[in-house]
Amino acid sequence: MEDKLLIWKFKRGGREALRRIYDKYHGQLLKLAIVLTGNLDAAEDIVQEVFTHFAQSANRFGMSGSLKSYLITSTLNGVRNQRRNNRRRQGQNLENAEHIPSMARRPDQWAVLSERLERLSCAMACLPYEQREVITLRMEAKMTFRQIAGVQETSVSTVNARYRYGIEKLRSLLNSEVKK
Amino acid sequence: MKSAEDIKRYFQKSTLSTNRDKHEAIFEKIQRAQDKSRTTSPASNRLNLRSNIMKSPITKLAVAAVIIALVVLGLFEFIGTESTSGVVWADVARKVEASRGVIYRNRATHSGGPADSDYSIVYLSDTKSRDDSYKGEEIIRTSFCDFDTQTFTWIAHDAGKYMQKAMSEETLREQHGAWANPKRWITEFLSRNHRKLGRKTIDGVLCEGLETTDPTFGVSNFQVDSVLAQIWVSVETGYPVMLEAEITGGGDEKIHIKGVLDQFQWDVELDPYFLKPNIPPDYVDMRTL
Repeated sequence: MEDKLLIWKFKRGGREALRRIYDKYHGQLLKLAIVLTGNLDAAEDIVQEVFTHFAQSANRFGMSGSLKSYLITSTLNGVRNQRRNNRRRQGQNLENAEHIPSMARRPDQWAVLSERLERLSCAMACLPYEQREVITLRMEAKMTFRQIAGVQETSVSTVNARYRYGIEKLRSLLNSEVKK
Repeated sequence: MKSAEDIKRYFQKSTLSTNRDKHEAIFEKIQRAQDKSRTTSPASNRLNLRSNIMKSPITKLAVAAVIIALVVLGLFEFIGTESTSGVVWADVARKVEASRGVIYRNRATHSGGPADSDYSIVYLSDTKSRDDSYKGEEIIRTSFCDFDTQTFTWIAHDAGKYMQKAMSEETLREQHGAWANPKRWITEFLSRNHRKLGRKTIDGVLCEGLETTDPTFGVSNFQVDSVLAQIWVSVETGYPVMLEAEITGGGDEKIHIKGVLDQFQWDVELDPYFLKPNIPPDYVDMRTL
C-alpha cells in the first residue's frame, strides 16, 4: 500500500516520493546486481541507470503492478544488457569473463560490501549465468519457480534443475561458510 | 541435506551498506533526470491510444480497417507524380519520412462495444514500437513490437499476465503497415482520390487538410461501404497534427469504426530502453495457463 501511495505522489512530480523509493530499494537492487554481475562498478552503474530511467518515467508509469517487481525486472534487464554489451565489446566468452569478479574497493564507491557478500559474489560468479539468475531471483527477490520460468522463458523443471545444480555448486564453493 | 536453507541464510547475512556521500551524489543526478524529464518531455504523459486494437478481435478489425486504409505505397512513389502537385505536401512527406521517432495518442471507437481502454499512447521508431493503453490515468495494457526480431510482447497489467511470441504476418502488417506508420500517411492520402480541405485551427494550431472518401483507403478485412478520412498538417511545422478516419461496412455485421490520432510529437529520439519489454517478474506467462 505504501508503494502505491509513493507511486501516486511520484507521478505527480513529488521529489520526496522519489527519495523514499530510492532509499527503500537501492540496497536490494545493488545486492541483486552485485550478485548477478560479480562486478561492483557494473552493478552500481546498472542500479543508477534503473533509478534514472525510473525518475524519467513518471509520466509513462501506470503502476498497476508492483513497484518492487518493476525495479527488480529493470535491474535484471540492465544486467542482461550489460552482459550483451560485454560480449560485443570483448568478443569473448562472457562466462569466462565473469569468472573474474571485480570487487575492488575504492573510496568513492557507492556500495560497501560485507566480507560475506564479497565471498558470496565471488562464488556466484563461478556459476553459469542462468543458475546464478535462478538462485538470486529465488533468494533475493523471493520469486517462485514458476515466476522465474516466465522471466527466463523456460520450463519450471528447467528452473528447478538450475536451482538444484546451482545450490550444490554454491555450497561446495562456500563449503564450511554456509553454516556459520 | 539442507543446502538450500543454508545458502538462503548465507544470502540473508550477506549485507551491504552505502557510502553516504556517494549515495547523495547519485540521488542528485537521479533527481536532475526527473526535473529534466518534466521540462522536456511533457507529451509522453498525454499520449495514448492504440493498444486497444490488440485486445479484442473487433478492435483489431477496426484497426485493420482504418489502418489498412492508410497502407502502403512508398513516399518516393508519390513524390514526382501529378497527384502530389502541392509542393507543401511533398515537403510534408519528406519531413515525416525523415522523422526519427514519433509519439501520438490513438482513440478508437467501434460498433462492437466499449473498448477496455480509453485511449493509447504509441511510441514508434523505425525498428520498434510501444503501445500503452490507458484506462483513466492507469496503463492497463502495454504491447511491444520489435520489427527486427519480429517479436511481439503483450502485457496486461490489469490481469498480471503477459505473452511473448513471434509476430505473425498479420500482426506484422498491422503493426508495421502504413496505417501503423504515420510516416506513410501523407503518401497514402496523396496516392488516392483526395481533395484539399483548406485551413482550420486545431488546438490553437493553424492546419491545412486533405480528405479522401476512397473506399480503398486502408486495407480492411471486411466489406467497406464508406470511408471518410481527413489528415491535418500544421502550416508552421509541416508535421501532421491530427488524423481522423471513419469507416462503415461489414455487410450484415454493420461495422462502424472511428479513429482519431492526435497529440503528435515528431522527430523524437526514443530511448531504446523504453521500447524494450519490461515484464514484472510476478506476472504470469499466458502460455503456462
